[in-house]
Amino acid sequence: MKRGWLPLVLMTALIVALGAYSAAHQSAFLSKENLNSLLLEAMPLILVSMGQAVALLVGGFDVSVAALMTMVVVVASFTLSPTTTGIAIVPGTLALVGVGIATGLFNAFLIRGLRLPSIVATLGTLSILEGASLWLRGYPSGAINTDFTSSLTSAVGFVPLAFVGVVVLAALADFGLYRSRPGLALRAVGLDATSSRRLGMPTGRTIVLAFVVCSVLATLGGFYLAAEVQVGSPIIGNQALESIAAAVLGGASLAGGRGSFVGTLLAAFFLTEINNVLPLFQQPTEYADMTIGALILLALLLYQSPVLIARFRSSRRPIEPVEAPAA
Amino acid sequence: MSNPGPVNPDVLCARGLSKTFGAVQALRDVSVDCRAGEIHALVGENGSGKSTLLGIASGFLAPDEGTVEIGASRLVHHSPAAARRLGLGIAYQDYSHVLDLSVAENIYLAAPADARPAYGRMQSWAEETLVAFNLDVPVTTLTGSLSLAQRQLLEVAKALLTRPKVLLLDEPTTALGPEDVGRFHTLVQDQARAGVGILYVSHRLPEVLAVADRVTVLRDGVGQGTFEAASVSEDALVTLMIGRPLTVAFPERRVLPEQAEVMLAVSGLQGERFGPVDLEVRKGEILGIAGAEGNGQVPFLRALAGTEPAIGTASCGGAKIDMRSPAGSLRAGVVLLSGDRRGEALFPVLSVRANSTIQILRRLARVGIVLRGRERQAMAELVERLRVRMASTEQPVQSLSGGNQQKVSLISSFLRGEVKVILADEPTQGVDVGARFDIYEALHAKAEEGVAAVVKSSDPIELSGLCDRVVVMSRGRIVEEIPRHELGERRIVEAIVGARPGATAAGGESEGTST
Repeated sequence: MKRGWLPLVLMTALIVALGAYSAAHQSAFLSKENLNSLLLEAMPLILVSMGQAVALLVGGFDVSVAALMTMVVVVASFTLSPTTTGIAIVPGTLALVGVGIATGLFNAFLIRGLRLPSIVATLGTLSILEGASLWLRGYPSGAINTDFTSSLTSAVGFVPLAFVGVVVLAALADFGLYRSRPGLALRAVGLDATSSRRLGMPTGRTIVLAFVVCSVLATLGGFYLAAEVQVGSPIIGNQALESIAAAVLGGASLAGGRGSFVGTLLAAFFLTEINNVLPLFQQPTEYADMTIGALILLALLLYQSPVLIARFRSSRRPIEPVEAPAA
Repeated sequence: MSNPGPVNPDVLCARGLSKTFGAVQALRDVSVDCRAGEIHALVGENGSGKSTLLGIASGFLAPDEGTVEIGASRLVHHSPAAARRLGLGIAYQDYSHVLDLSVAENIYLAAPADARPAYGRMQSWAEETLVAFNLDVPVTTLTGSLSLAQRQLLEVAKALLTRPKVLLLDEPTTALGPEDVGRFHTLVQDQARAGVGILYVSHRLPEVLAVADRVTVLRDGVGQGTFEAASVSEDALVTLMIGRPLTVAFPERRVLPEQAEVMLAVSGLQGERFGPVDLEVRKGEILGIAGAEGNGQVPFLRALAGTEPAIGTASCGGAKIDMRSPAGSLRAGVVLLSGDRRGEALFPVLSVRANSTIQILRRLARVGIVLRGRERQAMAELVERLRVRMASTEQPVQSLSGGNQQKVSLISSFLRGEVKVILADEPTQGVDVGARFDIYEALHAKAEEGVAAVVKSSDPIELSGLCDRVVVMSRGRIVEEIPRHELGERRIVEAIVGARPGATAAGGESEGTST
């Protein structure tokens, strides 16, 4: 577990460092308004990245998440139009969750049923969802119910309640992942599917569930995207690669079986923070993209360093001499 | 422990199992039963169908035909989880450990719901469990850092955690030294006395016969009968295991020059799964490597070819081989014909021509442009000599039969100029009978040119027909050497199963191969 803390420490340090630097140069950064909007801005990426972390845990990718978020925004502009009031908001919201679950099951069917590599399968889903969104809304139109959006963004002081919610969720999820048998089983399936199956674990069901959870979390991320734009925009979601970046910066391994939800949350927040502070310094957002790219590479190097060092050593001196067995 | 019902004393009952993989019939109408409290040995040569039988019995494979009953209940849904629920425990030959998790976590995952404590008590519970199994392993270490012997014992302990009615053991002692084998057998006998039925797969006849009540023999996927262990001799069992009809012809033997100089000299070569190995192969000699699967033969060849890390030295024609990379071994003239043709030796989608010449394009080019004419010329003679059957040299290699694919990988390695040593891993696996002769002949021809060949094969008939000398590997080390005049299927199988008086396949070594 010792190495597991590295992403958490690194991400916290980066968040604090960037925040301190920004606050020192731009007093507006620490204003309640900015902090509130920063936390709300981070919500979509936090939620979708946590979903992505689940997919990565079982050794898969889900690149369809951003298209699903767009789809949720578009569908919300129909099922949660401003004329929807009172109790009618509930079925409208459930319809969105239904879209998420259906997408997750479809992905899981492609991956488990048809044995397609997850990256290819979800790439197909991405295209289908993107096309469907554009078919439903050819251009940004259709306002989204403000009762719905404002209930998502309600806050105590400058802290949105939902943000408190995801922090608790991430902490609980990490606790489950590293302190319970289902969490251990999930990691085992991601680390070694064959051995897990031999031990009688339901590897197929685990993978199906992981992709459904991933889609549902992306759907919740879509809620917050809807709250941000408040209109049925068919071109809004672009967090697919960022979500993978956040999960990896948070400690997930692309080979499966490793990851941290708190780490992912911190990383997603940090990536949002970069985007948030650049306008304060009148810097173009291209810098943010380049920074994120460089950071991912650095973080990967750092997390992998024990392995890389071992590999370097072994390439120079093959293996430790073993004591010759007695004849 | 479990209490078998009085109605049916069989805790495992497999009836009429058949299974084919592609064109290979791995099992044909095989039936085995295992009674409560008995140790039932399952023996046979490499590839006789033992592992397939265990795979089906444990639910990992679904049979084409036949049924499996565990504890008098039919296994309907073929999955390991279903078999476990019915009371089957299995220790896999290649383990069921998640190597990136700790020992405690692995034990915890293996335990059924009613046997495992709260998650927080995992560590202390795992320690108690290991003490009960007499296993001295720190529970917090990563399973991947255990020695092979420790992994093997842990695998059995995990299988027993489910308190099975029937326990399948697949070659459970390959990494164990004699002392550990003794302790392990005490454990197995205790379990049998407590009423567990044990199906014990092993190629080590003396070892398994020392504890077995009954023995079932498989040959070529067909059952050869079940016998009381006390009433059957090792000799009789070997007779049942061997004796496949001879279907392959071998080229005329060459006379090996009496005093040919040493071409390949290996000294103290040792890797994670084999060694230390000392070996000399002379110019023009074909040396065979025999042994039960998984006793270090392949890692040994791969280490010589520079694809697996090892310590120790090897020289080729007097010059030291740089085994840190495949390029180093190739430079020294050592060529590996990988058993994994599609994965390692060939480019399946490229043409026969491209696969043959890809390593020597520089020689066939003028100012950087490859000349087709030279390419064809270079390969024409070998295509002819090896009798590669194909429509054209532009055909993708993947469209050829297994035998012809193997011939193409031979062409490409023969075309490399200075080949001094050929390491062949199962050169005729998946190769039809007609093509085998051509491959044998090609190896002979190379040997006549002065190349030293090392052939790893699981087929004793092939080894005795092809080789000048055969060494037998067990637990990663050479345990016996069979000279040319003694070569024969029976002699090799006896050496592998350790049935020959004075042979040391099972004894005389200490634990394992690595730490």
